[in-house]
Amino acid sequence: MSIISVKNIHKTYNEKTVPVHALRGVDLEISEGEFTAIVGPSGSGKTTLLNIIGGLDRPTEGDIRLEQTELSTLNENQLIEFRKNNIGFIFQSYNLIPVLTSKENVEFVMLLQNRPKKEMETRAKELLHAVGLSDKLDQRPAQLSGGQQQRVAVARALASKPRFVLADEPTANLDSKSTADLLDIMAKLNQEEQITFVFSTHDNRVIERARRVVTMVDGKIESDETFNR
Amino acid sequence: MLLKIAWRNIWRSKLRSIVVISSIAIGVWSLVFLLSFSRGMILTYIDKAIENQTSHIQIHNPAFINADVDKNELERAAFNYLSDPEGIELELSNYDEIEAFAFRSYAHQTFLGVAGKTGVANVFGINPEQEKLVTNIHQQIIEGDYFESQKRNQILISRAQAEKYNIGLKKKVILSFTDQSGIPTKVAFRVCGIYDTKNQLLDQFNVFVRQKDLNRILNIPDQSHEVAILLKDVHQSDEVKAGIAAALPGQLVRVYDEISPEIELFNVQIELSTFIFTFIFMLGLIFGIINTMLMAVLERMRELGMLMAIGLNKVKVFQMITLETLLLGIVSAPIGMLIGYISVGYFQQVGLDLSHFSKGMQKFGLSEVVYPVSSADMYITFGVAVLLTAILGSIYPALKAIRLRPVEAIRKV
Repeated sequence: MSIISVKNIHKTYNEKTVPVHALRGVDLEISEGEFTAIVGPSGSGKTTLLNIIGGLDRPTEGDIRLEQTELSTLNENQLIEFRKNNIGFIFQSYNLIPVLTSKENVEFVMLLQNRPKKEMETRAKELLHAVGLSDKLDQRPAQLSGGQQQRVAVARALASKPRFVLADEPTANLDSKSTADLLDIMAKLNQEEQITFVFSTHDNRVIERARRVVTMVDGKIESDETFNR
Repeated sequence: MLLKIAWRNIWRSKLRSIVVISSIAIGVWSLVFLLSFSRGMILTYIDKAIENQTSHIQIHNPAFINADVDKNELERAAFNYLSDPEGIELELSNYDEIEAFAFRSYAHQTFLGVAGKTGVANVFGINPEQEKLVTNIHQQIIEGDYFESQKRNQILISRAQAEKYNIGLKKKVILSFTDQSGIPTKVAFRVCGIYDTKNQLLDQFNVFVRQKDLNRILNIPDQSHEVAILLKDVHQSDEVKAGIAAALPGQLVRVYDEISPEIELFNVQIELSTFIFTFIFMLGLIFGIINTMLMAVLERMRELGMLMAIGLNKVKVFQMITLETLLLGIVSAPIGMLIGYISVGYFQQVGLDLSHFSKGMQKFGLSEVVYPVSSADMYITFGVAVLLTAILGSIYPALKAIRLRPVEAIRKV
C-alpha cells in the first residue's frame, strides 16, 4: 500500500513574472518501508518534489496524499502538526540547534509532541546509541564532525516516530567514510524498523545503496528503477 | 526547553548581548539616579521649608489668607487675626501627635528702610521660646544672638538682607506699618542677630521680631495671625489636620503642601519627570531592542525555518523570540537597579555636594548638598517599563520570524 501518493504535480515559481516550471506533471507512489533515491541533475526538480511531499511547499497543481491525508486540505498550522507527527527531516547542512547538545537536539522534537520527560530521555539515548554516538550525548553541534552532526540529525528525524523520513542531499557535505557510516545506519533502520526513507541526491554512493531510484529531468520523472539490494 | 534555548541563544553572540545588557543597565541606573537626585533635591527643599518656616500644619483666620492673594485686602490683613487663640491652644493640647506649636503674628510687605535704602520685608512676630520648638531659625544664627536680650524692638535679619542694606549687628532698621486705624507708623528696630537659612527665597524677605513688639505696634494685643504646628511624624499631617479642622470650624487649617503651593508643584514635577524620562528611555530602548533582535532573527533564519519545518509552530516561535528579549531585560534591569540602589545609597549617606552651583540653587531655596532619595515604587516602575519595552521591542522581530516560510530555509541548504 502506498504511504506517499503524488498525482500530476505541477510547480511553477514566479508565475506572474518569469515563470519557472520546476515540476511538470509528476506521478509517484512510494510504499511503506521503501529506501528510495530521487536523483537528477541540479534544477531537475528533486528538491522541489521533496519539499512538496514534506508539506513544506504547496504544488501549483495536482494532489499529494500521505497515507489517508490530503495535504491540500490542511492549513498552515495543521501542516506543521502533520509534519511534526508524521515526517522526519534530514537536511544537507544538518541544521541542528547549535545551542543544544546532541541529546537535547533529539529530545526537542519529542518535546514538541509533549512526550513524557522520561520517555524523551530514554528514546534520545537509544537513538543516539543506534547512530553510534552514545559517547557524544552532551556535545554541542560545534564540537562534532560533519558526519557526527548528520548522524544526530538522523536520530532527531527518527525521534518523533515518523511514518517516513525525507532527506535532502544528506551526504552532500560528508566524506566517504562518514557517508558510508550514515548509509549503513539508515539502511539498518530501514530494514529493522521498516522506516520509509526518501532521499533527494546526486551522490552515486547513495544511489548505489538505494533499492529504488527515481530519476528526474526537467521537472519530470524520466525513469523509475527498482533494485534487489 | 524553549527557555533553555532562549537563554543559550542570548549568549551565542556574547559581545552583542553584553553591549545590549550594559546599555539597558546603564539606562536604568541613570534613570534611578537622576530621579532619586531630583526627588532628593525637592524633598530637601520641602524639609527645609518645613524646618525653617512652614511646619507641618498652620491655622489661620480664612480672611487673613484671602488677603494674602488680594492686594487690595493686604493692608487690612494684619487685622484678620485668629478669633479664639485660647480655644485653639486648648484644642492643640489634646493631640499626642503634636510635637510643638507656636503662635505668630505677621505683617505682609512692610517697608524696611536702612540708611537711605528701602525695601520690602515680611515681618514675623514670634515668641522666641515657642518658635525654637517648631522651627530652627535659632540654629541658623551666624552673627549675634537669638533674642537673648529682653530689650524692646530687637530684630533678626538675614545675611542676604545685611549684605543688601549693608548693615550689621546693633544697627537700626526702620519698619513702616499701618495700624488698625490706618495711620502709618515708623518704628526703629535694632539688629540683634543675623541668620542664614541658605534659602534665598525666604531670606530675601523674612525678618523676625518678638510677637509682643509687633502686636504692640499693630495694636492687636494678645492676638496672633497663625499657629505653626510641628508633628512627631509628617505622615500624620492629613489626619491631624482633619481633627483640628473639625474641632475649629471657623479656622482655616492647612498642611504644608497647601501652605506652600510650590511643594505640590514639585511633587507633580517629580511624577511628570519620572513619566517623561521613563518614556524617553523606553523609546530609545525599544529601537535598540528591535535592532538587536532583528539581527538575531535574520542571522538565524535558516535555523528558524528548520524549527518550523520539524514542527515548531508559529506561536512557539513567537514565544521564543519574545522570551529571548525578555531575558535580556530580566538580566539587565536588576543590574541597573542594583547599581542605582548602591550609588543612591552611597550618596544618601555622604550627600552630593553641589556647592559649585550653590548660588543658583539657593536662589530657588534648594540646598547645596543633595541627598538622593529613591523608593520602591521607582524601582518597580522601571522594572515594569523595561519588561514592557522588551515585549514591545520583540514584537516586530518575532513577527518577522513567524512570517518566514520553512521551505525558504530548506532551499538555502
